[in-house]
Amino acid sequence: MFRLLFRTVYTARNSSVNVNESLSLLAKCDKANCTVPALRVSNGGGLRALSTNSVRLCEKKNESVTANQDEETKTDAEADPKETKTLVTQEADEDSKVIKMAEQSEEPLVSKADDGGSTTQQHQVDVTTEQDVVTPEKVETDAAMSGKESLLSLLGAMKVDVTSKRKPKIVKVKQSEFTPMSRPPAMESTISMFQQATAEASSQRRMSRAPVSLGLSASPTVFFSEKLDPELVAAASAAASTLPNSSQAESQLLKQLRQHEAVTEAQKKGDVTKDLGLIIADMKIGKHSNRQNARPSNQIRFDEDGQGYTHDRGITSELDSVRRNIRRNLFSGKRLNIFARKTDDGADSAVARPTLWDMDFAHQLSEVTNQMPRNGLEEMIQWTKEGKMWQYPINNEIGLEEEASVSFHEHIFLEKHLAEGFPQKGPVRHFMELVVGGLSKNPYLTVQQKKEHISWFRDYFHQKEEVLKEADVYLN
Amino acid sequence: MLIWMWIFHSGYLRDYLSVCVMLFPFSLQDTTAYPYQFQDDPYLSPRTSVEFKLFSLSQESGRSAAKYFINNYPKFFTKDFAEPHIPCLMPETVSLCLEEVSEEALKERISLRKVTAAADMYDQLLQAGTEVSLETTHDLLDLICLYGDRDPVQDGEPETEDMEESGEEPKKRKGRVRRASDIIKSTWKQNNNAERIFNLLPERDTHCYSALIRGTVLHGAYEKAFSLYTDMQNNRLSADIHIFNALIAAAPEVRDKYQEKWDVINDLLKQMSQQKVQPNLMTFNCVLKALRRCGSLGKSQALQTLSEMKALQIAPSLASYSHILAIFYKPASAGQGNTDVLQEVIAELAGTSFTCQDPDDVLFFINAMRICLDNKDLELGYQIQSLVEVGENWRLLGDSFQQSVYYGRFFNLLCLMEHIDVVFKWYRRLIPSVYYPNPQGLRDLLQALDTDNRLDLLPTIWKDICTLGHDNKSDLVEELLALMARDGHSHEVQESFAACALDIKRVYDENRGKPSLEWSNSSLSHVASLLLRANKTQHAWDVLQLFKAKNRVPHEELLGEFLSACHRDGSPQKAVELVHLSTAFCLSATPNLAKRALAEFDLTEEQSYATWNDRGKHSSRISSE
Repeated sequence: MFRLLFRTVYTARNSSVNVNESLSLLAKCDKANCTVPALRVSNGGGLRALSTNSVRLCEKKNESVTANQDEETKTDAEADPKETKTLVTQEADEDSKVIKMAEQSEEPLVSKADDGGSTTQQHQVDVTTEQDVVTPEKVETDAAMSGKESLLSLLGAMKVDVTSKRKPKIVKVKQSEFTPMSRPPAMESTISMFQQATAEASSQRRMSRAPVSLGLSASPTVFFSEKLDPELVAAASAAASTLPNSSQAESQLLKQLRQHEAVTEAQKKGDVTKDLGLIIADMKIGKHSNRQNARPSNQIRFDEDGQGYTHDRGITSELDSVRRNIRRNLFSGKRLNIFARKTDDGADSAVARPTLWDMDFAHQLSEVTNQMPRNGLEEMIQWTKEGKMWQYPINNEIGLEEEASVSFHEHIFLEKHLAEGFPQKGPVRHFMELVVGGLSKNPYLTVQQKKEHISWFRDYFHQKEEVLKEADVYLN
Repeated sequence: MLIWMWIFHSGYLRDYLSVCVMLFPFSLQDTTAYPYQFQDDPYLSPRTSVEFKLFSLSQESGRSAAKYFINNYPKFFTKDFAEPHIPCLMPETVSLCLEEVSEEALKERISLRKVTAAADMYDQLLQAGTEVSLETTHDLLDLICLYGDRDPVQDGEPETEDMEESGEEPKKRKGRVRRASDIIKSTWKQNNNAERIFNLLPERDTHCYSALIRGTVLHGAYEKAFSLYTDMQNNRLSADIHIFNALIAAAPEVRDKYQEKWDVINDLLKQMSQQKVQPNLMTFNCVLKALRRCGSLGKSQALQTLSEMKALQIAPSLASYSHILAIFYKPASAGQGNTDVLQEVIAELAGTSFTCQDPDDVLFFINAMRICLDNKDLELGYQIQSLVEVGENWRLLGDSFQQSVYYGRFFNLLCLMEHIDVVFKWYRRLIPSVYYPNPQGLRDLLQALDTDNRLDLLPTIWKDICTLGHDNKSDLVEELLALMARDGHSHEVQESFAACALDIKRVYDENRGKPSLEWSNSSLSHVASLLLRANKTQHAWDVLQLFKAKNRVPHEELLGEFLSACHRDGSPQKAVELVHLSTAFCLSATPNLAKRALAEFDLTEEQSYATWNDRGKHSSRISSE
C-alpha cells in the first residue's frame, strides 16, 4: 500500500511540475533519461487518474479547487463532452487497454534505460493502469487514441530533447502542447462525481496536501508541506526497498522530494519566473535550438563554441528594449526635434564659389573610392571625359565651336573690307585684291585674323602715302 | 561591334557617353581574368594582394613620374600634336611667373598652393601699404588653415608639385598609412601665420572664423576651435554650416564623459537651429561619428538622429549606416547573436546605387561583412554582396586593401556556412578577378572541403595554391598534405593525390634555398604514405631517403606501411633495407619490424642473419641506454 501511495504522490507531483521536474531530472541523474518519457506518458495518457487522485485529495482537505481547474482541464481535455455516464464503465476498460498498448509501445525505450529506473517506470505505468481500472475514468476510446498519439509525439519529442540542450523556450513549447481545450461546464459535474467516488477509496491515505495546478502560465506552482512528512520518507524507503540497489534509489527519491520542497518554498515567496530561471540556470541547461525561429546563426554558434545560456540571456535582456524599437523600423523612433523642416531657400549655398575646402573634400572623396576602370569601355568613358578621345559620333569641326557662329561668306567675300582706306584703283588696289583673294582661300585663319591682316596693310599704305604719291602710284 | 555600329547609326543616341553608360551593364566581368589595369602586360599579373598593390603602385608611379617631368620641363614639350587641343596632355604651369609684389602675384601663389610664399607675399603687400581684397584674404586664410601653415605634400597631384618639395620630403610619400600618420602629426602651432594674419585683419567676418575653426579642428587644436567659436559669438556673428560641422566633429575630444559629450553636441545642434543654419548630411554624419564614442548613450541617440535626418529629408549615406552599425556592434563584444539592426539597414538599402558623399562611406561594406561573419549570418552576407553588385557600388569598397578584407570576410563566411558546391561557385567567381585569398582564406577552404567530404578536390586546390603564390607557406602545405594523407580513398583519387604529392615534393626541392619551406617530419611521412598508397613504391623510397638527409625520423606506422608495400611487391631485399634503416633511426619498433620481416618474407640466410642482427642491435642499444 505504501508503494502505491508513494507512487501516487510521486506521479501526481510529477504531473504538476512536469516540465520543470523532467528538466531537473534530466540534468540530475542518468536514470532520468528513462524517467522522463514515462512521466510524459503518464501525463499524456494514463496518469489522468492519478492526477485526479491528487485533485480529489486536496478537495477533501478543503483546499482551493480553483488552482486545480487547469489540471482537471488538462486531464479531461481529450474527453468527449457528450459522453454519458452509461458509457463510462465499458469505456474505462477500453481505455485501460489502450493505455496498456501505449505502455507496451513505450517499453522498449524504457528497457534500454538503466535497470532501477526502468523498473520504477514500469511500476508506475502499472499503477496508472490499475488506477484506471479502479476508478471509472470517463475517457472515450478515440480520446484515448489521441492520448496515445500525443504520447507518441511526446516520446518522439523526448528523444530530441534529451540529446539537445534546452532553453526556457522549450518549457513554453511543451506546456502549450498541454494546453487544454476549453471544458464545457457540463463536464464538471461528472468530474466532481468521479472525484467523490475515488475520494472514498483513498480517504484512508494520509497525505500532505498536494493541490496541483498546471496552467498556461509558465510557473506551475506546487503547494507542499514545509517538512518532508516522516511517513512520506518511510514510504519512499519502502518503495526503494523493492528496487534493486535500494539505498541509492531511496536517496534519490528523498532528494527528489526535498527538491520539491525547495521549489515550493521558493515559489511561495513569489517571483516565480526568477526562481524558475535560477533553477534552470543551476541545472546548467543550454540553449535549445528550436527550429521555428531559428536563424542558422544561433544554432551554429551554439553548436560551435557552446556559449553559455546565461551570457546569451544577459545580452538579450539588455538589448531587448532597443531591439524592439528597431524591430518596428529604423526610422520610426522619435526624433531629436531640434530642426524645423526645411523651407526652400537653398539659393545661398548654390551661389557660393567653391572654396579650397570644397576642392579638398572632393579630392578626398575621389581618393577613397576605387576609380580604376574595370574594362575597356569604362576606360574609354574616362578618356572621353578627360578629353583624350574623340567624341562620337565623329565631327570634324570639333574644337571649332567659336567659329561655328561665323558664316562662310565672311571668310570668303573680303572685298568689302577694301572699301575704306584703300585707293579705288592702281597698283596698291591691285596688290590688295590679290591679298584678299589669298586670304579667302586660307582655312587656317579666323575672320578676325583676316580683318587684322587687312587693316595692317591699310595702316602701312597710309603711312607710306607720301612716298607713294611722289612715285605717282597712289591714286585716290 | 555590330551593336556599336547599329547604335551609332540608328541616330537615337547621339551622345557617346550615354551610349557607353548604356552598354556598360552588358559588358560583364570576365571572372577568370586579372583586373583590367593589368591586362596590357602579362608580366604584371598579380597573384597576391601584395603583388597587386606593388604592381598598381608601380604603374601609378610611372604615370606620376612622366607627369612630373612634363610639368617641370615644359620646354621639351612645346609641340602640340593634338587637333583639337587636349589640355590634360600638355604641361601645366607649376612655377611662379609673377615676381613683383601685387595682389595678382598673391592670387597666383594661392592657386598654386604655395603656403609660405603666399604668406610672405601677403606680408610684403601689407608693408607696402597695399589693400588686399577681402576675397583674396579669405582664400589665403583657407589655404593656410587647410595645410596648417606648411607647404603641402602634393600626393596624387603631381601637376602642382615642384622640385624643392619633393626633394625635401621624399620619404613621406610612400603609402597611405604613412600619410595618415602625417596628418595626425601635423599639429596646429600657436600663433602661426593663420592666426597672425587673422589677428591683423581690421574686421573679421564669418568666413575668416570658418577657415580658422576648420583649420584648428583639422589639425587637432580642438580647444582652440571652441574658444574661437566663443569669440565669434561675442562678436555677434552667426556661424555657418562648416563651423558647426567642424565643432561637432571636435566635440568628443573636448569632453570626457559620455553625457557631457552628447550635451555639447546637442547644444551645438540647438544653436544651429537658432541661427537658422540648415544641417546637411555631413552634420549628421559628424553627429553619428561622435556618438560612436559616447558609449551606451549612442544607441538611443543614434536612432533619434536617424529619425531627425528622415524628418529633414536628408538621405543618410553609407557612412551614416556605417556609424550606426559601429554603434550597435562593438567589435570587442563579438557574437551577440543579434543582427536586427543590420537587417533593417540592409532592407532599407537593398537595390540602391550610391555615390560617395562622405569619406567614411567606404567603411560600410567592410563593417557590415564583419558583423555577418561575427554572427555567422550567411543570408545577410548574400544580401550585402548583392548590394555591392548594384550599379557602381563596388567603387565604394574602398582601396585594394579594404576590398581584399571585404572579400576575405565574405569568403570566410561562405566557407563556414555554405555547401561546398556553392563555395566553389563563389571561389571561381571571386578569384582572381577581385580577390586574392591569403593563406588563411585557403585554409578555410580546405576546412570546408573537409567538412563536406570533398577531399578529392584537393589536387585542384593545390594547383590554385601554386598559382596564387602560396606554395611556399609551409603550414598551408602541411595542412593540405595532412588532409590528403588522413584517410584512404578510392584508387583514382589516390592516384591524383600521389601526383599532387610528387608536385609538392618538387616545390620543396625547388625551394631548397629558401628558409620558409622546410621538410618537416609530418610532411615527409604524409608524402611517403600518399605515394605508397598509390603504389609508387620507388618514389616513396626516395622520400624515405630524404628522412635521413633532412635529419627527420619517420613514424613507426609509416615503416609498417612500407613493409606491407614490400610484401606486396615481393621484394625481400627492400624489407631488409627497411629494417636496416629503422635500426639507423634507433626506432623502438625495430624488433617488431624485424619480426614481421622474418615472418612474412622468404629471406635468404644472409638476409635473415642481418635482420636478426638489427633486432639485436636495437635491443642492446636500448639496454646500454
